[in-house]
Amino acid sequence: MNNANRGIMSNAEWRSPLGRFIRFFYLIILLIVSVLVIFPFIFSFTAGLHNSIDVVKPGIHLWPKTPLWGNYLDAWQRFKISRLFLNTAIAAGGGVIAQLLVSSLAAYSLSRLNPIGKNIIRAVILITMAVPGIVYLVPRYVVIAKMGLIDNFLGLWIPYAASSFMILVLNNAFDSIPRDLYEAAQIDGASDLHMFTNITIPLSSSVLMVLGLFSFIGFWGDFLWPFLILRQSDLQTISVRLYTLTRGFPLNLYMAASFIAMIPPSIAAFYLQRHAPKGGLTI
Amino acid sequence: MTTTMKAIDTVKMTSRRRINWQKQAVAYLFLLPALIVFTLVTWYPIMSTILYSFQKVNVAGFQGWVGFDNYVRMFGNPIFYTAWKNTLVYVLLSLIMGAMVPIVLALIINEMRGLSSFFQTIVYLPTLIPIAVGLIVWRQIYAPTGGILNSLLKLVDIAPQLWLQDPHLAKPALIIIMTWVGAGGATLLYLYALREIPPELFEAAELDGFTVFQRIRYIALPLLRSRIQIMLVLQIITVAQVFTEPFILTNGGPASSTTSPVLEIYNIAFTRTDFGLASAWGVSMLVALSLFSILYVVFTREDLSKG
Repeated sequence: MNNANRGIMSNAEWRSPLGRFIRFFYLIILLIVSVLVIFPFIFSFTAGLHNSIDVVKPGIHLWPKTPLWGNYLDAWQRFKISRLFLNTAIAAGGGVIAQLLVSSLAAYSLSRLNPIGKNIIRAVILITMAVPGIVYLVPRYVVIAKMGLIDNFLGLWIPYAASSFMILVLNNAFDSIPRDLYEAAQIDGASDLHMFTNITIPLSSSVLMVLGLFSFIGFWGDFLWPFLILRQSDLQTISVRLYTLTRGFPLNLYMAASFIAMIPPSIAAFYLQRHAPKGGLTI
Repeated sequence: MTTTMKAIDTVKMTSRRRINWQKQAVAYLFLLPALIVFTLVTWYPIMSTILYSFQKVNVAGFQGWVGFDNYVRMFGNPIFYTAWKNTLVYVLLSLIMGAMVPIVLALIINEMRGLSSFFQTIVYLPTLIPIAVGLIVWRQIYAPTGGILNSLLKLVDIAPQLWLQDPHLAKPALIIIMTWVGAGGATLLYLYALREIPPELFEAAELDGFTVFQRIRYIALPLLRSRIQIMLVLQIITVAQVFTEPFILTNGGPASSTTSPVLEIYNIAFTRTDFGLASAWGVSMLVALSLFSILYVVFTREDLSKG
């Protein structure tokens, strides 16, 4: 709210000569940063429009003389991008659902049901969050392999379901739901499952949405774990497949495919911006 | 007086002690899925790492106890020291080159009034791109011949550089990418924190004649301090685990100058399938980062108790 009225500078100051100078200076910085940030998007987009010889020519030639829009169709078919999108959507979507379900159930218990050893469980979860994931990568791989989940999406979903961060954020969000709502439901004889699905979940929908989008974006681009688990080419996610195909395709088609791969998470980001939390997420 | 209070206390105590087992069963039923997945994919694997590091283990499974053999082999390999020295350089470079970027960006974007949410989305974009895809674009940018960076330098008469092939340039080149990827998320968190600061503070300071710089220095930054602490520790932990950038762009070269412990763990575990040795490396990671992990937990808790 407050950022609409004033930032660190007041609106009057913002319009003063010094304010104008600072504003100009700030805008220049932001424009430079924006160009640096957007550049790889533009680069892959226009590189995808070149023919296979021009794209590797030295010199600056962002826009080709004759843009080959057909490259995008060609890339879509040769990389089987529909299949890759489907795989990635299954991997990321399933991961998000598993993570939200497991975390919100656990957070409800911690926030409402006072399980014995609540504080110990919370502390262990917090400590788990601080252990670098790579430390236990190898045994985790062995566990998943022993369960026969190599080349199986469950091999992604189960690890994705375990999120310390999400449990702690949701625990905090659930704590802020007014107690009277639950008390009223309890008088009506509602069970905990009923209160969970009818009070907690609807009242936390925006937090769940934002957390889900963040996770979706993260899982969509995840590399190492899907690279280890999905060995079969027709199951691979888009970032794994594009990596394994690096050498096999002409660069222009490759860049076109890379650009296409960036589109879904970008759409998720624009949703995220519309639903962005006012105060941010706190643990 | 005291007896009644004692009586009340005992009533409280007994009512607190009486456990409603039915309620506890429900509470643990809700927790069960989380407890199962955490045991399976984090808690048990963390224990296993420590056990594996004293065993000979490969794809076929347990092959016997070997005492400290894995550790002897790890400490006897010069690559171990190279990888950790690289990590130290990565962390220092990322702190020098990258730590300030999100703070400055957040302060500026926060001031942009109507354009604020637009720029917020823009700086967050790189975080969205699948890292493997983003890196392939960066490889073209850094390419020695035909790369866009060398072409740009040619305009100002600077000789083309071998960005990823020169041992002196490769690490900073990778840090630039890591900053590019990571700054957006941190900027967002700082922005949220800035928006939580009551505007009255800045108003009062302005009336007292504080300049913009002084308001940033004496109000904004001190109030951001706990977030900055958390983000710096998180940055150290994240950068120390660097993998994808050297894996895709340099494969640890030239001459191991960009290799990292995680890249070595990956190679030991999945190309040489020596899980025991890889786990010893994992334990070294745990020990080296434990101080930062503890700091992270402490800072997060402090931040929590304040909020």
